[in-house]
This record gives sequence, C-alpha cells and structure tokens, in this order.
Amino acid sequence: MRLFNRIWSRTFAYVVLLGFTAFFVVPVIWLLLSPTKTDHELVVGNPFAIGTLHNLSHAIHVMFTFEDYALLNWLKNSAIYSFGGIVIALACSIPAGYGLAHTQFIGRRTLLGVTLFVMIMPATALVLPLFLEANAVHAVGTPWSVILPFSFFPFGVYLAYIFYSSSVPKDLLAAARIDGCNEWNVFRRVALPLARPIIALVTFFAFVANWNNFFLPFVMLPNSTNYPLPVGLQDLLAATPAFNPGQGGQVPIYRPELAIATIVAMAPVLIVFLFAQRSLVSGMLAGATKE
Amino acid sequence: MCPVTLEKLTKVYPNGYEAVHEFDLEVADGEFMVLVGPSGCGKTTAMRMVAGLEQISSGTLRIGDRIMNDVSPRDRDIAMVFQNYALYPHMTVGENIGFALKMKHTPKQEIVNKVRDTAEILGLTEWIDRKPGQLSGGQRQRVAMGRAIVREPKVFLMDEPLSNLDAKLRVQMRAEVARIQRRLGVATIYVTHDQVEAMTMGDRVAVMRAGVLLQCDKPQRIYDSPVNIFVAGFMGSPSMNLFEASLGEGARSLRLGSQEIVLPASVLAARPSLVKYANNEIVIGVRPESLAMAGPKRSASGNETVQFEGDVDLIEALGSEILVHFSTDAHRVEAEGMYSDDAEGLEAGSITRPGDGVARMAPDTQVTIGSRIKLQMNTKRLYFFDAVTGLSIEE
Repeated sequence: MRLFNRIWSRTFAYVVLLGFTAFFVVPVIWLLLSPTKTDHELVVGNPFAIGTLHNLSHAIHVMFTFEDYALLNWLKNSAIYSFGGIVIALACSIPAGYGLAHTQFIGRRTLLGVTLFVMIMPATALVLPLFLEANAVHAVGTPWSVILPFSFFPFGVYLAYIFYSSSVPKDLLAAARIDGCNEWNVFRRVALPLARPIIALVTFFAFVANWNNFFLPFVMLPNSTNYPLPVGLQDLLAATPAFNPGQGGQVPIYRPELAIATIVAMAPVLIVFLFAQRSLVSGMLAGATKE
Repeated sequence: MCPVTLEKLTKVYPNGYEAVHEFDLEVADGEFMVLVGPSGCGKTTAMRMVAGLEQISSGTLRIGDRIMNDVSPRDRDIAMVFQNYALYPHMTVGENIGFALKMKHTPKQEIVNKVRDTAEILGLTEWIDRKPGQLSGGQRQRVAMGRAIVREPKVFLMDEPLSNLDAKLRVQMRAEVARIQRRLGVATIYVTHDQVEAMTMGDRVAVMRAGVLLQCDKPQRIYDSPVNIFVAGFMGSPSMNLFEASLGEGARSLRLGSQEIVLPASVLAARPSLVKYANNEIVIGVRPESLAMAGPKRSASGNETVQFEGDVDLIEALGSEILVHFSTDAHRVEAEGMYSDDAEGLEAGSITRPGDGVARMAPDTQVTIGSRIKLQMNTKRLYFFDAVTGLSIEE
C-alpha cells in the first residue's frame, strides 16, 4: 500500500513537472524552429516541423541587411547602454553597500529605508519624471539619457549591503586598519576583492534589467539609429504585415525573420547566464554560512 | 619596543553604558600583561582602545612617550591577533603575513624574505601558498600570529587568540605564544577569560570586572593574596571555597554553619584588624589544595591547623589527584560573574551547589561517597574577607 502511494505521488509529481516544462519550453522550441520555415508554413504547417536550411539562411540574410544592418546597430547600442549602466551601477552600489554596512553616520537608517523603497518601485513608474529631467538638461536623445537611468540600481546597493553586513566581519576590516590600511585601502584591498560573487550577481541582474528594458529607451530615444534591441524589435513589428497590415513604404519583414531578431535579442542574456551560473550561485549563497 | 601606559582610560558608549571605568595600567617594555575577567568585563574594549578600534571617551593612552588617543590604528605601530583570526580569505598564507609590510611599501625582496622566515618560525612553510579556508584552526591561529610578528611592532595585542582551539592544541599554543613573545621582547597585552592562561602566560595579570581593574600583579601574588572575593574565586581551578561565617568573641573562634572552630592565637596575630569583625559576619576562603584529611597522625607539619567536618557528595578522580566534593551546612558564597563563560570554572560551578566545597587530595586518599570526613586546613592558608565590601582582610 505504501509502495503504491509512493509510486502514485511520484507519478503525480512528474506529470506536474512535465506539464510545466511543456508549457514553458514549447514556445521556445517553436521560436527556435520558426526561422527555418517560410511565413506560410509557419502559420499553417505543423508547429514542430523543421523547415529548410535555405529558409534559415534567407531569413538571416534579410534580417541582418534590413535597413542597412540596423539589427547590428541596435545590438551595439544595447551593449553600450547595458554595460555603460552596469559599470556606473557597480561603481556606485558596491561602495554604497559597504558604507551602509560598515560605517555609522547620521541618516544611515533613513538611507537604507529609501534604498528599499526605491527598490520595490517599478522602474516604468519613473520613466516620465526621468524624461522631464533629461529634457531639462537637454539630454533626451543622447545615450546618456538611457545609460544614467540604467545605472540607478538600488537592488545592487541592497545586495552589497546584505553581503557586507552578513559575510564580512568587522574584525577583518579592523585587522586591515591595524595592518596599515587607510579607509580607501581597507575597501580596495580587502572589502572589494571579497565582494567578487556579489559583483557577479549585481552585474547579471543589472544586465538582464538593462538589456530587456523597453519603455525607458522607447521614451528617451526618438531616433531609430539610437535604438537598443527591444525598441528596434518594436520597429520590426511595425514593418511586419501580419502585425501591422497598414504598413507601407518600408521593406516588409516576415515572421521567420522577426524570429531571428528575437533570438538575437535573447541570446546574450542566455549566454551571460550560462557563463555566470557558478558565480551567481555562490553569490546568492554568500552570507548563508559563516566561517 | 615601548612601554604602554593607560591612565584613567574610560569608555562610555553613546547609549550611556560605561564599558571601562578609569582604567590604569602600565605595561613595561617587553612585558607580557594578561587582562583577565568574565565576559563583558570590558577587557576587550580596553584592548580595542589601545588598538585604536574604539574611541577613548576620557583618559590618556601612551605608547612610549607619545599620546595615542587620537592617532589612527595604522599609525600606532601595533599588531593585533583577533579571536576569530580575521585572516584575509582572498589572500594566501604568505600574502596574509606580508600584507602589513606591503602596506608599508617594504621592498618586495625584503617582504619575501621576512615572510619566509616568519613562516619557518611558525612551521607554516608548507602552507604558504594555501588560502586560509584550506587550513585547520591551529594553522590559522599561527598565520594570525605570523601576521603580527612579521611587522616587529612596538606593541602586541592579542584578543583571546586561543579560545577557538580545542583543549589540547590550546595548551600547546599557550606555550608557543609565550615563547614567541619572550623571544621578541615586545610589550604585549593579552586578553582572556581563561584564568589558566592568565596564570601560566602572564608576567603580570590584571583582573577586571564590570569595567573596573580589581588587581594587577604577578600571577602567583594574585593567587596567594587576592584583594577581594571576586579575584579569590575567579583565579584558580577549582575555585577557592568561600563560606559565610561569623567571628566569635575577640575573633578567637569561627562559626561555620553549625560548627564552631577555635582559631589559634596566631591567626589574630597575623591579622589584628580581625578584632573589628568580632561578633560579625565575614567570609572565609580556603583553596581546595589547602584542605587535607584530618587524621590523628597528620598534624605533624608544624603549622597550626583547624578542622571542620563535611559530607562527601562526589569524588572526581583526575589521575594525579582526586577532587572531593563535600557539603556542609555553611552557606557558600559566589561572586557574580565568577564562573560565567569560563569553561573550567563553569564545570566547578555547576557541580558545586551552594553549601558545597571542594578539596584537592592525593589520589591514594581513602575516602568514600556518603561518608562524613574531617577536613583540616592550615591557618596560614586561610583567607578572610569583609562580608559587606568583599575586600580581603589582610592585616
């Protein structure tokens, strides 16, 4: 009876797991297969049929040469905005978290509270005021109008704060002071090298957030040559007759080609995740155990 | 190499808590000074003020001739060994040891040489390229020592450096630390709550309680002449037997529970001020080793002795000696904090119930649990304390 129960509960668990896996994986498979088909096959054919290599190379060719290699330009813009934002975010959030965790100053608790508050605030809610600000300093349309808001990353400050307050004992910093470090060297030679897993974690989260951000660059950048990928994709959608029947004047884009652009937009996050996986896990566990 | 002088050093935290109160201490050049006391007595805070890791609320700290109150830790030329070692986890053993030299911009070759020599002294040569995470507790402790000695500082500060080691290693390292300190001849302040460490390692010992220095003297002097009940009970393991008692007419007799003990004239001769306590409550103390079985043939040592009776509750055989736990109807006295956080003291404290005492005897002593025994003590080894102030009645 007990054995039967166990088999039954196991089976149930696997069915649920398989159900969810299918739910999430099927669209990805469909997306990966779509550039190998023609637009017509994509709509009427078997969704899991594999098309031809010819279709694939055609779709790639059309997509990449579209509007004078616009896709590559957007890819480049995305990289500049994302990494520019990350560099500034890291340069601010790691020292800020360290300061919040290991120094006493008036307003420290308030600052922590504010950090938490802005952390839970949806980024889109700030887009309009940010636009007005950027407009006031005549930055709208420049890369800075995207990079600077991207570099605002309170989650990173909070992660660094948690890390420093839980995993870096005060005595370690005291030892460095006694060993002859001034405050800058305490941070630079002891606190910063220890934060490696947190740097990886902040980099990854900031990268995903920046790379996928659509609304902010959409509002800030009026000129198509400045678009990052997500905004560019929107441009492509407008050029796809299936989604925008009234489109005219532009070279039409078909769904297999659109799928290529989507895959290009997705790939960097996947690649970064695969490479960063190990340090991410150690970063997320940082502070869980204390030596 | 410099003497360290603390004058009325006081630490008051912003919440008003006074951790250290007007602490006076002078550590001579090359001297090994041990600060000992129960946890929370302010000994670590006092040391951290010397290190510059705690602001000094008032008082003066001198290292050599220089007033150090407002000098940053890195400019005090001190080295410190922390309780949890505080090794830099991202650096190798060699880099850990050489870090302070690197910060002083010592030439590279010189760092390499000094680190190698230090590692050799401490037997760390094999591990020099390992990270601290790959080392055992004892090895980490030695790296921490190495980090301190490589700098040849003016002052060593050690904050319970052996408390994280197992008992056997602790005994071994105790000797090693003391040996290294003698060899380097640097003024050292060593904080511990372990009175055995204090007794064995220190040139002098400073006993603290509740932020106040109670007594500072050579270990044997503190053991032999404690200034008050707390010091008497804290130093020594098992700790001193302290009982409430009342002095009789003219301080010629002592009432211990229901027992009346006649005091020889020599007791009063040695401490004339005892007369003031006649017909009053006092506290008497006797070390476990000063108690012996009273037998008809045992009083031949020439010293005057007094006797009293107790019931044997428990016998602990330690091989080289036995600890006889006995009970009397006299009240046992315990000073607050006497046993707290002290591994060996705690053992004695938990076994000894109020009213109980401990005697340390030769292993061949004939004694059985449940029997009533007669104990005798040398009157010269008897301690008297004021029951109100807790101070020793010496004269």
